[in-house]
Amino acid sequence: MPDNEGRRHAYSLTAPAEPASLERVHALLQTVWTDHGDITAADRMLFELAVTEVAGNIAQHAPDGTPLDFTLHVCVHPDRIEAEFLDTGRRAEIDLTAAAMPSEMSESGRGLAMTLAAVDELVYRRDSNTNHWRLVRRRRVS
Amino acid sequence: MIELDTEVGDGAAVIRPSGRLTMIVTPHLRTLITDTVRSGRNRIVVDLSACEFVDSSGLGALIAGLKTARQAGGDLRIAGVGPQIATVLRLTNLDRVLRAHDTVSGALDAG
Repeated sequence: MPDNEGRRHAYSLTAPAEPASLERVHALLQTVWTDHGDITAADRMLFELAVTEVAGNIAQHAPDGTPLDFTLHVCVHPDRIEAEFLDTGRRAEIDLTAAAMPSEMSESGRGLAMTLAAVDELVYRRDSNTNHWRLVRRRRVS
Repeated sequence: MIELDTEVGDGAAVIRPSGRLTMIVTPHLRTLITDTVRSGRNRIVVDLSACEFVDSSGLGALIAGLKTARQAGGDLRIAGVGPQIATVLRLTNLDRVLRAHDTVSGALDAG
């Protein structure tokens, strides 16, 4: 529904859980940034990083061998930007309380720590057969 | 898309990814760096001036390339880093191991 300035504030896409879908995630966020030019560059950059990391995690770990879609909802509020991912793939085997940046020369293992550093809230829950990821970045004043 | 330029001097190569460095292209980047080092060019500069976005898989590929180049007695340097990539390097404390040079020639000439 448009806000009182005539802008959309809710955006969604459903795409296959595979790496190529990352480009569709970026395209969706590009639409959000175009509609909401008042979101600061830092907020855009860090929110997009976190959303990309979670989308990548889903593309890499959720499919169990059969085709799988995920759905992404992005919502812009005056004080925050939220993203929610839903998929019915495998449970994510993660421990958000233990996610730390690996050693400098490590070739992997940074995604979750980067996500936690980029947003103010990151929640994962498994509900029946559905994975829910929720990311919130509070908007900084420019 | 990733371009490879080997016309920059003996034992050196410049690799230019463009667009977003995410898991869509990082397997290609890893292979390209490995093959380039195997071909005898162990001084690699990754020119990121046409690259607007990097995620954890992109950083992983750069670190893998750095290790591959160093194991062959060379080095991997990065140049042309934009604001998103600079932010991600700081966030992960990798700005110390992947020191950003302003230009490709600066990266090639650095001691």
